[in-house]
Amino acid sequence: MSALADAVVAALEPAGASASDGFGPVTVDVPTHRWVEGLEAAYAAGAVFFDLLTAYDLGDHGFAVMAHLAAGDLRDHVLLRTTVPRDDAALATATGVYRGAAWHERETHEMFGIGFTGHERLEPLLLPAGFGVAPLRKDVVLAARAARPWPGEKDPSDSGGRARRRTLPPGVPADWPEARP
Amino acid sequence: MTAGARPPRTRGVIALVEESCTVCMLCVRECPDWCIEIDSHTETLPPDDDHRRPRTQAVLDRFAIDFGLCMYCGICVEVCPFDALHWSPVAEYAATSPDGLVHERDRLASWEATVPAPAPLDPRGVVDDPGPRRAAGRLASGS
Repeated sequence: MSALADAVVAALEPAGASASDGFGPVTVDVPTHRWVEGLEAAYAAGAVFFDLLTAYDLGDHGFAVMAHLAAGDLRDHVLLRTTVPRDDAALATATGVYRGAAWHERETHEMFGIGFTGHERLEPLLLPAGFGVAPLRKDVVLAARAARPWPGEKDPSDSGGRARRRTLPPGVPADWPEARP
Repeated sequence: MTAGARPPRTRGVIALVEESCTVCMLCVRECPDWCIEIDSHTETLPPDDDHRRPRTQAVLDRFAIDFGLCMYCGICVEVCPFDALHWSPVAEYAATSPDGLVHERDRLASWEATVPAPAPLDPRGVVDDPGPRRAAGRLASGS
């Protein structure tokens, strides 16, 4: 286990965080309302290196927001993770603890539409002004997949006129609109 | 710089061996980027000595790879059951417009000559006397 993870779990006792080994660095799940507290505990335990903050879509369960923090000598690291609901997704900003999180929160805001309360400047970072949707949400249709017909749909034996089983492009959700040639 | 100076297994471009392509569409369908396009038609071949009935055969009309979309994953090369696609170390295919990165079959086929020879077999894996094979045994039984 990681000393950083143990410190965060201990700091959020009793009703607090849980740690799991997962596949890589130890992940500490922090309750949403104690997110900043968890970050502060990690910082106090020596996790002074802020590496990354990002999110991923959990579908109906909302979004997971995670931060990767490491000790100054990089000998120990920990993932802090919390969940936010899908509607009105918002989380307290981490910038009070890690200034560098400002950039990551701007990116997470524009890609997932998650608000960070207390952030000074949640302006778009990469997308053009007026883009409108948060493209990394799984319910957003990827324009490139809907604007163009799938080249694999052509069937070399089509001329026979037989009704064949239709093949669908792998990885594209079945309920996305389909472009027709 | 010549292609030969690049490291082995360099992923430059994907070369097409036109004669090996059977228009099975596997590469097009497996491509995560949708960067391969194939057009084809079917031709009916008359019966001959080996075939008593006329048969249809798919004929390749167009094979294009959009290197503006390609992410060089190599899945098409892996999936091709007839080894019609190969990695070539050539990297000189720049274009001045996105359309110019769509390379058609003649260009893809021209890179075939630059495909390096496959790595030699691991000598520890080569068996001098493989012994009788099943197919040979069946022939010997004289069925």
